[in-house]
Amino acid sequence: MIKKQHTAIALLYLVSHTCYAADFSSETDYYQELPVVLSASRLSQPLSEAPNAMTVIDRKMITASGFRSIPDLFKLVPGMYVSYYKGSQAFVAYHGSTDQYARRMQVMIDGRSVYMPLTSTVDWADLPITVDDIERIEVIRGPAAASHGANSTQGVISITTRDAGWMDGKSISVTRGSKGINDVAARIGRRGDTLDYRMTLAYSADNGYDNLSTPPKNIPITQPKAAGLLNNSFDSNQARLLNYRADYHPNAVDRYDIQFGLNRNVQAVGWTDSVGNPVHDLIANTSFMQLGWIRLLDNNAEFSLRYSHIGQDQHEAFTVFSLANQSVKSSRDEIELQHTLPLSESNRLVYGAAWRNDQVAAQGYAQALFLLYKASPAYSSSSNTNEYRVFAHDEWRITPQFLLNTGGMFERDALGHQNVSPRVALNFHVTPQHTLRMGTSIAYRTPALAESSFRALQPGVLFVPNATVTSPGLMPERLISREIGYLGEFHEWNSTLDLRLFSDQVSNGIFHDQTFKKSFVNGMSSVYQGVEATVKHSFDEDRHVTVNFAHELARSNAPSLLSAGYLKFVSSAPWTNDILSGSTPRDSASALYSQRLSGDVSFSAAYYYQAAMQPFDRGPIDFQPTQRRMDARVAKAFNQGGGVKAELALVLQNLFDTRYTEYVANNVFNRRGYVTLTLNW
Amino acid sequence: MSAGHKIARCLLQLMLCWFVPAGYAAEDLRVLLVLSDNNAPYQTFVNTFRQNLPVHIHTTILPVAEDFDAQQADLIVTVGVKAADRVAARSTLPMLAAMIPSNTYVDLLAKRRSARLTSAIYLDQPWARQAALLHAAMPERHRIGVLYSPGTRLDMSALRAALVEQGDTLLAKPLHNAGSLFSDMEEVLVASEVLLAVPDSAIYNSNNIRNILLSSYRRGIPLIGLSQAYVKAGALCAIFSTPEHLAEQARSVTVTFAQTRTLSAAQFPKHYTIAVNQEVARTLGLTIPSAEALRIQIEKSSGSLR
Repeated sequence: MIKKQHTAIALLYLVSHTCYAADFSSETDYYQELPVVLSASRLSQPLSEAPNAMTVIDRKMITASGFRSIPDLFKLVPGMYVSYYKGSQAFVAYHGSTDQYARRMQVMIDGRSVYMPLTSTVDWADLPITVDDIERIEVIRGPAAASHGANSTQGVISITTRDAGWMDGKSISVTRGSKGINDVAARIGRRGDTLDYRMTLAYSADNGYDNLSTPPKNIPITQPKAAGLLNNSFDSNQARLLNYRADYHPNAVDRYDIQFGLNRNVQAVGWTDSVGNPVHDLIANTSFMQLGWIRLLDNNAEFSLRYSHIGQDQHEAFTVFSLANQSVKSSRDEIELQHTLPLSESNRLVYGAAWRNDQVAAQGYAQALFLLYKASPAYSSSSNTNEYRVFAHDEWRITPQFLLNTGGMFERDALGHQNVSPRVALNFHVTPQHTLRMGTSIAYRTPALAESSFRALQPGVLFVPNATVTSPGLMPERLISREIGYLGEFHEWNSTLDLRLFSDQVSNGIFHDQTFKKSFVNGMSSVYQGVEATVKHSFDEDRHVTVNFAHELARSNAPSLLSAGYLKFVSSAPWTNDILSGSTPRDSASALYSQRLSGDVSFSAAYYYQAAMQPFDRGPIDFQPTQRRMDARVAKAFNQGGGVKAELALVLQNLFDTRYTEYVANNVFNRRGYVTLTLNW
Repeated sequence: MSAGHKIARCLLQLMLCWFVPAGYAAEDLRVLLVLSDNNAPYQTFVNTFRQNLPVHIHTTILPVAEDFDAQQADLIVTVGVKAADRVAARSTLPMLAAMIPSNTYVDLLAKRRSARLTSAIYLDQPWARQAALLHAAMPERHRIGVLYSPGTRLDMSALRAALVEQGDTLLAKPLHNAGSLFSDMEEVLVASEVLLAVPDSAIYNSNNIRNILLSSYRRGIPLIGLSQAYVKAGALCAIFSTPEHLAEQARSVTVTFAQTRTLSAAQFPKHYTIAVNQEVARTLGLTIPSAEALRIQIEKSSGSLR
């Protein structure tokens, strides 16, 4: 009887309790404990407090740009050079680039460094994410070795993918367009009490650039034939990829980030008129796994531990007289731990340590090497390197007006060099709306394995490093950067201005010595100076525009290196005999306008401009005249009811068909368009 | 009054007590505190309530509301909704329901067999005060979004009126169903500049708060919370009354009751705290005044300087 009564009371309690929960508010709504969601690692630093010049490309801009290829997004960063060696071989460089590998930038996805060890470059086509998996991109313009380590000499690209819990449901999107554009993506996401996850399965394909049948840029027809411009290129690309991200948060203080992904990419490479590199397929299988743990400590302190693994397996088979093949397997393992610690209300310290292991095993076989050069037809090499770094960064609000960022990193790089990269920046809020920033830092770039162990004789496109070190004394490049920045908010005009003056000085610059040695050496000195600006303006709540502009002058000792025979290419830029200066676009600009119209229609238009330039390691035929390009996107959303939503979007790129050429003149960018249909439910 | 007078008066009172039975002493008041639960906020309430309480007010604590079964007292002070409901249904004694949301008071009165001598100290802030905070914290943001479950019976028209008074507009969307929380939330976020949290456990609970905060943060829209815990979790700011505030107010109502044997009308909290998460403000690119400056502005706008 007593038992029954208890059950009845318990039931009554439960009923009444759920009754409070569902229908009525009660004091528990006010006094409940909640987990800390926006902790230090979640909150991005406002531009006016960052120690560097920073460009943020957020989700809205990504959508408005209409781009379907990740590297294109960096056209929205002032001073960024984005170009293509092949339709799917993009490279992104700040201050121009000395070759198509653009080795001087750190690129990270959710904190995981994705430039691969061999050439220290990013294979953009091999990344296991699509443009739609990206939430935002932060680009640090200028060196940030003090917080991001080696390879952050010119800048840092930090891609943040969508949260595990960004969607609850399913979506499918299909894109069809000219140039063989054919993308399909399926997404699923779930939000739970303790586990959120999302998954993307995607296929992306296009035919790259058109095979040229007429010469670009009014070059006399005899010259392009000699230079191999016409009817010689195939660069189609198909990528199949998968990525998964889960966020497990069993309690209020621990958060686990679990990610993995795959990409199988097949791209057509080579040239029909090349003996050593005929048209063939380059196949890359890339995978990654990342585990992160963040624990919130008392007083807003935070401890984080991250492990990541990237594996890349590339191979190619082609015919140079007889069948030849090459394969490169590389892997990277990295562990980083970090402690964020508020020392006081006005002072926050972040310090940590990281270890990284890079392994490369490469091999090749080409009978032609023996036939032509009496060299061994089989070749291989492997490398296993470790690097360590410890870092600390302090953010001190001396007064509400002054913010001092100091930081430093000590690293022992893969080649055993020990470097200290310090940084100091002072932000002065003249008023809360106007901020001045002065900063200086030193950064180093460790030579890539491809540079220290260079193999001169090699067919195909993959790079098999030399088994012996070819440049034994090669030192890291050193960069000293100084900058003055201004950030202004003009509320009355709904505008912001981000202005930066910079002077970056590179010493011990690494370049390819064209004398008999044919190896990479130090000895290039260069200075990059310029001004960059970003203006954002809102006409009203529905119309926004972002305008970027960069004017940059570079000078170097290239003319003397050229006259001494160290460099091969003469500048064909009429305004300079310094090819490094010629390879840095003097002026570049971009503008992105977006507008929300009635009836769930949105419209955006973008304009991109880049002054003429001469790529550093290309001949005069690849001189890039001024680029002008206009893109537009129109989208309409439909609400089907029953939780089904659809969007139809049309993107037109290079609306006025200006037919500009890329890094390699075979790549002529002409007008193209595509339509995307997305269904969400 | 001189010291001599005081002594004389005390003596007189003592003499009166001597002849009148203790239970009926004029100033003596037996207060029964009925708690909805025995954990932190209720304990804090009790501790504060008993501080500086005149000696003639005697308190008895009933830590578990279910144990209330028409015990006798001169005044019953209930803490929380559960205790208020239990006492309202089982007792006709004078009752002060503290720490209850204002929209539950009507139901409470309906449960009482006699509405005589019933009063309340609400837990929630008056809409005008909430609207004043929104205006003081973000004068440039005018579109206020609210997502609420239809069953919560929150008075949206009163909130709208309070916001309009400040030159703001309200976008109040009822939750479609339990499964559509995040798509409904997206609709609110798309059309709003600020998201205002409401006491609605179907939406704002420790499981959902994470994705609510992340969604609003992604869109650059600040959340206005209901408590310190919200602000710590990542809300931009909140205006709220602590158990201490409510207990102080309940004590002063009780002291008045001891003297007059009457209860004033149900009232909103007199005292409140403002909490601001400056870290979140910075990240969202907002310049928000300090909690102190906000309080001054709110008090100015409500015309009462305390």
